[in-house]
Amino acid sequence: MTENDLKVFVDAVTHYFSHLTREPATIRAAYLADGGAAPVLQYTGRIDVSGRLRGSVHFSARRPMLFDLLREAQEPDTSEDNLLDAVGEIANTIAGNARRHFGSALDISVPVTANGAGVTNGVRARPFVIQLRWGGHDGLVVVDLEATAG
Amino acid sequence: MSMKLLIVDDSSIIRARIARLAAHPRLAGLSIVGLARNGIEAVSLCRRTAPDVVTMDLTMPEMDGIACITELMRGDPKLNILVVSALSDKTTAIEALKRGARGFINKPFSDEQLVDALLEVAE
Repeated sequence: MTENDLKVFVDAVTHYFSHLTREPATIRAAYLADGGAAPVLQYTGRIDVSGRLRGSVHFSARRPMLFDLLREAQEPDTSEDNLLDAVGEIANTIAGNARRHFGSALDISVPVTANGAGVTNGVRARPFVIQLRWGGHDGLVVVDLEATAG
Repeated sequence: MSMKLLIVDDSSIIRARIARLAAHPRLAGLSIVGLARNGIEAVSLCRRTAPDVVTMDLTMPEMDGIACITELMRGDPKLNILVVSALSDKTTAIEALKRGARGFINKPFSDEQLVDALLEVAE
């Protein structure tokens, strides 16, 4: 993963929020996580990646951010199922948009979602973390990808 | 203009968002005839409801969008399918169009972008 590869995910995150809401997200930090499990907030959506790269991309946020995002999308249903659907759809959109840069060789799965820990599936010792802020809420995108042999 | 729309997406939020376009002033005459969570449900609903237009996600469980487009076009080659997907690479868009889709719009999308795309494929 090069710096240019990682910028693709930063751009996908900012594009998602600026396109869907009236307030763009700001990137507060982008860094390599310390060893151990990748950080998560309350709700997490994970997309598994295979092909030229393997690993996963996940989006994580707390309930208030997801409530506000759903409200912004004029979605009145803020049930648990829809909060999980929201993190899954955001992760799917960020990973899917990255194919503009990586091409169709980057195969992405349907979302795996969870409230709480247990949805991450690390391949790198130190995954790349994008810390964002939108509407007064924090969110996380974790890019945990490595090149496959060949 | 009368348009029967079948919405295919594994996200309930996206299905609901597209369905709300039935109230959009530029889409008077639009009626939602079905909501499908995957390609298998879409094939079944399409046979029962005979839509004019289908919005089609690509990354879905059970049967993905590319396989579903192929199946739907086999049943009705004149069906208007608009792909609505986060997959942003050219190869995927070309493959969907080769299988018979009439249009392709990327997520995230605005309501106006989707309305424009729906009107275009329905022409």
